Amino acid sequence: MITISELQHHFKIGKKGNERLVPVLKGVTLEVGNGEIVAILGKSGSGKSTLLHILAGFMSPEAGSVLVNGQETSALKESEQASFRLANFGFIFQNFQLMPGLSAFENVELPLKILGMDEADRKKKVQQMLGKVGLQEVSGHYPNELSGGQQQRVSIARALITDAPIILADEPTGSLDSETEKEILLLIQSLNKKLGLTFVIITHDEEVAAVADRQYHLHDGELVKGEQRHAV
Amino acid sequence: MQFKDQIDFIRQHMKRNKLRVATTILAATMGCAFLIVLASIGFGLHQTLTDDVLNNNLVTEIEVAGKAGEETDLSPGEIPDAEVQQMREMQHVAAVVERNRPDAETKVVIGERSTYSNVVLSSMEEEQKAGFGLSEGKMPANANEVVIGYHTADMLLTEAEQEKQEKGEEVSGFAGSLIGQTIELQLTPFMNEGDEKTEMAAWEFVVTGVAKEPAKDWMTDTGVYADSSWGAIFNEELNMQPGYENILVYADDLQNVGGITNALKEDGYYVYSVTEELGTVNVFFNALKAGLIFVGTIAVLIASIGIFNTMTMAVTERTREIGVMKAIGAQPKLIRKLFLMESAAIGVIGTVLAVVISYGISMLSNWLIPIIVMSSLGEDQPEDFTIIISTIPWQLVVIASVISIGVAMVSGWNPARKATQIDVIQALRQEM
Ligand SMILES: Nc1ncnc2c1ncn2[C@@H]1O[C@H](COP(=O)(O)OP(=O)(O)OP(=O)(O)O)[C@@H](O)[C@H]1O
Ligand SMILES: [Mg+2]
Repeated sequence: MITISELQHHFKIGKKGNERLVPVLKGVTLEVGNGEIVAILGKSGSGKSTLLHILAGFMSPEAGSVLVNGQETSALKESEQASFRLANFGFIFQNFQLMPGLSAFENVELPLKILGMDEADRKKKVQQMLGKVGLQEVSGHYPNELSGGQQQRVSIARALITDAPIILADEPTGSLDSETEKEILLLIQSLNKKLGLTFVIITHDEEVAAVADRQYHLHDGELVKGEQRHAV
Repeated sequence: MQFKDQIDFIRQHMKRNKLRVATTILAATMGCAFLIVLASIGFGLHQTLTDDVLNNNLVTEIEVAGKAGEETDLSPGEIPDAEVQQMREMQHVAAVVERNRPDAETKVVIGERSTYSNVVLSSMEEEQKAGFGLSEGKMPANANEVVIGYHTADMLLTEAEQEKQEKGEEVSGFAGSLIGQTIELQLTPFMNEGDEKTEMAAWEFVVTGVAKEPAKDWMTDTGVYADSSWGAIFNEELNMQPGYENILVYADDLQNVGGITNALKEDGYYVYSVTEELGTVNVFFNALKAGLIFVGTIAVLIASIGIFNTMTMAVTERTREIGVMKAIGAQPKLIRKLFLMESAAIGVIGTVLAVVISYGISMLSNWLIPIIVMSSLGEDQPEDFTIIISTIPWQLVVIASVISIGVAMVSGWNPARKATQIDVIQALRQEM
């Protein structure tokens, strides 16, 4: 499903003429299979987000390749990348990234609008999805009228609504208390089991990583396999 | 994204910043209304003049004033009959009338009453085809019959009445209808220096019709319209030179006047028609209108600065949202389109309001300004004072809309392009 090989990336910092290269990824190789939950652990600043951004196509790597369903993503043009993301990826962000002007329902509906789906089909689908994540009661609420956990459920619903096979999550519970964190992790696990979705979860939290089938540690720009655990 | 959803999307965005969007629309409305009202004055004055020209002329009439000859120019009377016949056969020519006025003083007499007149000799058949208008009766069927001018009956006065009229008293003229009456036409050749004295001669005619009222109030028609065959008879009897001839070509429709005018010009005729007169008027007013539209466009451009600001702020404010849209998989093209549509919407709403307001201002000024002018003129008001201050033809609405909406979209272009260039990672980092 996802094949990352020999991925290298560095950032340039400092003023022109006095630049310094900061290597972040020094040859990362990772394979994620269909229906797997893979967690990538690492200290702050270790390059986890950078890896995810490259995987999502938000930026291009200096070297190496990312194959998603057999497609080399960095070879795509910007507009093709957008279509590719819409079809293949769902995103869950640490700070939810909901549209403040849209209700929970409308936020979940947005990707389907972008996709150009008919209103009637759209409404039915969103209704069902809100049921799956347990948000029917608050579907008319705006993000500032929702708790953190509810907001994250909205964002999960939005990630799932297009039936994308791969969900990329950057610190999905980073802004939640431990009770809510458990709730969300259970939801992720059950979605993975019921729908066979593939999850790539970025976290610095061992507890979160525990839901994964496989764990990796990003350390010094390299990925090291961690031990497998189950149960939350 | 479906078009309906795109509309929904920008409507939602505009609602979120009601005040800012409303003031921007207000500026766009003012700019566009200024453009329309300013240009409408050019259109109004142009129409006033055009109407004036069209009212004072038989619009399908083309006067042939002569022809360029090899050595000297030909007067209308010298143009050969064969060439006049050729004009009759031209496309879209309804009739060609040759009117001849004998070189003589003319008097119409009936019993005690008489009036000065002028004889117009013409082919009655052609006159009929040319649309000679009668107020009553019918066109002559034979050479002894004539049509008389609209005012002839009123002007037929006895000697006593003529004296009264000179003193400024009201007189009534011939009572009843002249149709079927026999009138006497007295011709006395004009004297040229060295001419031997010539006698007056008279002929009798039966009146079959009365010409329609002349177009303008101040015109008096006491003419006698008789068949052209009389020309030779008058000239021989009174020993006169051929009189002044006038060739009038009638087009079947106003829109063909220009074509016929140009065709005749190419053949070397000197022609004069309403399109000729309007030609110079049109050149002047089209330049004036273009100038006014140009000045008005400056107002629209000033308003466009507001649109540019509003859209730039909108893009900056929504950086994070645009980033999320892009992350989810919205095409850069779609994002550009949404912002362009928003600035276009400001332009469209502004233009619609401006058109409505402009029509209001235009009607108000057409009603109010003549009243003010009239009252300032006081007693001596001209009777048929019809001046159009401002007209807004659909062409002006189209021009103003294209300019306003076009300018709105151009000013939204750069912010829209900026929106597509937003970096997803940077955008997602922004605080909510
Ligand atoms: N745009 C950038 N320009 C320069 N350096 C950058 C840029 N983005 C990230 N970095 C650097 O790259 C390194 C990795 O950043 P990244 O955001 O991937 O870390 P992370 O593992 O996600 O950290 P955290 O757990 O705090 O989110 C950091 O040292 C950071 O300073
Ligand atoms: Mg990070």
